Amino acid sequence: MTMRMDEQELVGRIQAGDESAFTEIVRLYKDKIVNFLFQMTGDYQRAVDLSQETFLRVYFKADKYKPIAPFSSWVYAIASNLAKTELKKRYRMNQVSLDDVQYSAEVSTPSDETTDSGLARNLREALDRLSLRYRIPVVLKDMEGYSQEEIARIIRRPVGTVKARISRGRSMLKRQLEKATKENLTFQKREIFDGRY
Amino acid sequence: MDDINLLRNLERVAAPPDFERRVMAQLAQRKTELPSARRAQVFRYSLAGAAAALFAGFLALNVFVLRSGPDRMTTAGGRMAEPASSRDFVSITEPVSYRNEVRNVSAESGTVYILEQVSNASNQYIRY
Repeated sequence: MTMRMDEQELVGRIQAGDESAFTEIVRLYKDKIVNFLFQMTGDYQRAVDLSQETFLRVYFKADKYKPIAPFSSWVYAIASNLAKTELKKRYRMNQVSLDDVQYSAEVSTPSDETTDSGLARNLREALDRLSLRYRIPVVLKDMEGYSQEEIARIIRRPVGTVKARISRGRSMLKRQLEKATKENLTFQKREIFDGRY
Repeated sequence: MDDINLLRNLERVAAPPDFERRVMAQLAQRKTELPSARRAQVFRYSLAGAAAALFAGFLALNVFVLRSGPDRMTTAGGRMAEPASSRDFVSITEPVSYRNEVRNVSAESGTVYILEQVSNASNQYIRY
């Protein structure tokens, strides 16, 4: 509650044009928003760019924020709208080719020393295949730890819809994971057969 | 496999160390860009408004002024005016003094008048 009060105060100061309050908001939310957008796009550099855009919109549209919902819901709503636009653009320009996926997996991870276990890799692949309609609520619930009511406020849908999407999204994710695991196993077997290992 | 905790296996990422500095730099840049962007927006809106006003004026002129001329008037019998092709004939009343047109032929008894057709048009409308 204190946190929320502080945030409301910070928003009030941003509305008055106080840049130090804005810096404070960026500091509070940067990791959460970058992580959320990384899970949405699967591309770290793009996630960082979209996070910057999210915060700039927070600053310039601060006067449009109404304190009827938590500030975090508003920030996540901006971020998820940007993610949707980005993925639509990518889809339209047909950028998601196999080469791009491999490139982003190789180049745009935050650190090279990160060891990507087989399960994590398959999970990432499965998540990328999940439609945004399900991906947003599942990530917000299972990774960011938001309640169904908060997610409903972020994506502006009834709680019942959110509940259904989370449940359906989880089962789709599980199916996709099994599929990805099977495909990768077949691929590894073929590589062994071809003598690459 | 616990499908509820699936995503916990995914790595969380953090913002790069210079993230705040980059955001503040972009903020400063946007602030300088904003007035010119606003000016361009105002110009675009005024241009669109002027075009719309011009179009509305043209429509009003067409509907209320040009169409309310003699074309739309009805005749005394209640019928609409005739088509344009028949309206091309304008009736002109020209006063003619027949006193100068007709000569007294009795004074020239030996004169023979030959009347012949000088036009290719059918002579049924020609009156002598």
